[in-house]
Amino acid sequence: MTVMGTNYQEMKNRASEKAGMLQEKPYVMVGTATCGRAAGALKILDTFKEQVQKHQVETEVIEVGCLGHCYAEPMVIVYKPGFPALCYGNVDEGIASRLVSDFLVGDDPCFEFAMAALEPNDFFPTFADYPRGVYEQKIVLEACGLIDPEEIDHYIAREGYSALVKTLATEPGVVVDEIRNSKLRGRGGAGFPTGRKWGICHDAKADVKYVICNADEGDPGAFMDRALLESNPHQLIEGLIIAGYAVGASQGYIYVRAEYPLAIERLRTALQQARDNGLLGDDILGSGFSFDIRIFKGSGAFVCGEETALIASIEGKPGIPSHRPPFPAVSGLRGKPTLIDNVKTLSYVPHIMRNGADWFKGIGTPESPGTAVFALAGKVVGTGLVEVPMGTSLRTLIYDVGNGIKDDKGFKAVQIGGPSGGCLPESALDLTIDFDSLQHAGAMMGSGGLVVLDEDDCMVEIARFFLEFTQNESCGKCTFCRLGTKQMLEILTDITKGQGKPEDLDLLWELAEDIKAGSLCGLGKTAPNPVLSTLRFFRDEYEVHIHEGRCPARKCKDLITYRIVAQKCSKLCDACIASCPVEAVFTRPDMLKEIDLEKCVKCDNCLVTCLPLYDAVEKVSPPVTVAVEGGSASE
Amino acid sequence: MELMEGELEQIQSAVGEVLEKFDADREQLLPILQAVQGRLGYLPREAMKMVAAAVEIPEVDVYSVGTFYNQFRLSPPGKNQIKVCMGTACHMTGGNIIMDSFERRLEIEEGETTKDREFSLERVACVGCCALAPVVLVNEEVEAKVRPTRVDGILLGLGKELPKKEARPEDKAQDSAVPRDVSTQEAGDAR
Amino acid sequence: MSNNNGNNNGNKDSNNTGSNIGGKGKMVTITIDDKKYEVPEGTRLLWAALENGVYIPHLCGIEEEEKPSAGCRLCFVEIEGFLNPTTSCTQPVKEGMIVRTRSKRIDRMVKNAFELLLSNHRLNCGKCAANGSCELQKIAKERGLKLRVSRMRKLDIEAPVDDSPENFSYDPAKCVLCGRCVWVDHNVAKVGAIGLVRRGMGRKVAAFGETTLAESNCTQCGECVQACPVGALAMKK
Repeated sequence: MTVMGTNYQEMKNRASEKAGMLQEKPYVMVGTATCGRAAGALKILDTFKEQVQKHQVETEVIEVGCLGHCYAEPMVIVYKPGFPALCYGNVDEGIASRLVSDFLVGDDPCFEFAMAALEPNDFFPTFADYPRGVYEQKIVLEACGLIDPEEIDHYIAREGYSALVKTLATEPGVVVDEIRNSKLRGRGGAGFPTGRKWGICHDAKADVKYVICNADEGDPGAFMDRALLESNPHQLIEGLIIAGYAVGASQGYIYVRAEYPLAIERLRTALQQARDNGLLGDDILGSGFSFDIRIFKGSGAFVCGEETALIASIEGKPGIPSHRPPFPAVSGLRGKPTLIDNVKTLSYVPHIMRNGADWFKGIGTPESPGTAVFALAGKVVGTGLVEVPMGTSLRTLIYDVGNGIKDDKGFKAVQIGGPSGGCLPESALDLTIDFDSLQHAGAMMGSGGLVVLDEDDCMVEIARFFLEFTQNESCGKCTFCRLGTKQMLEILTDITKGQGKPEDLDLLWELAEDIKAGSLCGLGKTAPNPVLSTLRFFRDEYEVHIHEGRCPARKCKDLITYRIVAQKCSKLCDACIASCPVEAVFTRPDMLKEIDLEKCVKCDNCLVTCLPLYDAVEKVSPPVTVAVEGGSASE
Repeated sequence: MELMEGELEQIQSAVGEVLEKFDADREQLLPILQAVQGRLGYLPREAMKMVAAAVEIPEVDVYSVGTFYNQFRLSPPGKNQIKVCMGTACHMTGGNIIMDSFERRLEIEEGETTKDREFSLERVACVGCCALAPVVLVNEEVEAKVRPTRVDGILLGLGKELPKKEARPEDKAQDSAVPRDVSTQEAGDAR
Repeated sequence: MSNNNGNNNGNKDSNNTGSNIGGKGKMVTITIDDKKYEVPEGTRLLWAALENGVYIPHLCGIEEEEKPSAGCRLCFVEIEGFLNPTTSCTQPVKEGMIVRTRSKRIDRMVKNAFELLLSNHRLNCGKCAANGSCELQKIAKERGLKLRVSRMRKLDIEAPVDDSPENFSYDPAKCVLCGRCVWVDHNVAKVGAIGLVRRGMGRKVAAFGETTLAESNCTQCGECVQACPVGALAMKK
């Protein structure tokens, strides 16, 4: 066995022993990634610690990352020898206390609160017994939520860093070939072949080379990179070291969004642990290969997801993209060959090195092998992070994995790929997902945000929202992106206010095409996609706004008014009056309520507050005009 | 923006301490500015000038960087920072309505600080809690599934005196001035 | 967002953008609009064309700059073998290169980029100091474009004219953000008084803290006025 092998084996033995010991007594795992914390996970964590203390049960309470079931946060896993490990969702302090007193002290696993068991057993179904589990196939998310991200041994016990050992015993060129053969494509957006990029950087002659992990996830609706960083940072670190070895780099960077403080904290801990174990730094595992990783905190600029802008940012300049070529793989950071890959892309690397390119190609589709990670959000029941093989249909993803549309509403569209992506209509639901099919349909894999829209969503407004986002994030350097997207935004805003002109739609289309072709960087080149796709599939909605001054989804504020339906309103209730911040809701002489449209600021409070029993507040479009002679409205 | 008495000295000593921890290198510019803001809450002009002198670049180049990135502020933040998420999921579930509600209650626009420097209101692109939309970050703590009616509750919890129900709109202006010994000078707007 | 979309021009070439410096020596033959020209190898196309009397619209190009800003998006040409129109300021010439400066696609892109710039430009040619020497007027004349905003929304800049320098003034509402003034300030005059600050629609040429030029460390050497292709920086009469 090589020196590296021996060094690793010692680590592995230590980790396995710890893992074995963990099984001997009860433990509680609390998901404390950002989304869990938002739902109150830290309180649950404290409750478990207190209760365990109070009841004097010997139990380890461990913080873990994200299991992906955001709709059920906070989530915990409770294990007790003799029982399968069980997962509980929507845990509150009461449930947490009961799990300690009834399950850990007593022997009642409280099945009434349980979601699923982690392994097959005779008592309770596992995740694999639900549709979501049937269609999901986890590679990069596999260990997320099941290991302590701040404990390197949890990762090592699951074969972590064994891919690095294997890599270090292989020629760099062969490592590049393995990635090339796997046909892995970049998960950051357009799906450029990762192996080809590695090859270019490997072949570039230079004294110094760099590898950078792009963790500047800025897509408003995607959070898988954050989840990966918070739940399994070592997987990424291992991938980045392998990339560094393959292309011949000695220094790596992880460029993380400043908005992800927890991810930065967990990464920092993980890097230190890797150094302490000789997996990072000088002469890694005795292989002679030296490599270190620094964290670079972004300062909030979406455009820094663009390779050249990201490099400018590390160099201490505004994040303004520059013309390519030269490509960073040839001349990047400080003018040296620089490989830049996304968090997800690098997270696949250890798995591919461990299991081989053929294994990876066996999953997904021939041209887009592997899995796709999506952040399911919007009007879908099962929001969260999901990982499915490429080639899964949108219908399966939304209706089986995501468990359908919330509140039994009608499906209208699915927005894929965030501000660079597009909206696809119902007719596209049977489309199978991969890089090329999505692009062909007018959307884009983007960073994997998938937002489900229902009948209450206005497509013009959604297009306007995304364009406003890119316009806000445009660096302002190039004419098409700075002024072109601004012109488009002005037009869309006019349309949502009922001030659109019939000829606007042609101008929108023409501008969109030119911005796509003429912009300097990827941000501008993809910015028109949300408009192009909604114009293509939902042109009628645009036309209704322009020609009838009406918003079919009753979303556009200027095209709606609120009203209280007298027949539904109750004399006994005045919840809406209390909810109104501007005293627009008043009581009529007959004790029913009405809205003074002149005062109404359309804040939605009364509609939200009105009891489902009455459901008396509604929105109407086109808006009702305010009568001249005072408070009441006429139609 | 005018500095208050003693503020200049405070800035100088804070920036001096930060600069000791970093190499005087252009590549350290972002980390330095982040550290300065970490100490002072914003990037005062005097601080940017000191940083420019230390890394030996024109002052305007530091200003370019300071005004390019969303994270940097050029005016002091409020004691309580409210950040409304405007990501896709939050937008769809009414993030803009939540923003409107805060703007109405605090009588400031997005990106501004109240005159008494008690509250500042910002938009953030996405905090990555889409399943809990709409979310608001209140002093970096996530408030999940915020309804418009929750806005008053959040502000009350932070000690904001809200106008009485009977109050006429024109009376509201005085309510935002919670007595504090800090001067009530104009707080400049961030971006 | 797309940060991996490799080669965006459809050409199989990922070489460094050549610089003009050191471009002397070997000559290559290129064809522009059906006429052949002998030009030094490695020169960038825009300058090779201008040198030979072929006009290509441009605002931000600086011949000496090794890394072209490529921000104005006006100098598009079609090159045989390339999928998409290419900015000529970034493209080094190569032996046998066949170039078209006009096509339906190019003309439309230039027309729209031009109207976009005008939509954000204070149009007052009659009273402008640059009347007659303005690059925007030249582009309009060369390409038969109108000097007015016809289809797009007018996006006026509300900013006062900075009259503080003794001999010249700066009108941000006329600035096309080409960045040439900032380049000469930093690289020729070596003063470092002005920069491109803020971003997106807020992007502008300004001094530290957005003060007037007289309050800044500007030496009023006037290099920036010479570099301005429009009337944003202009000598006082």
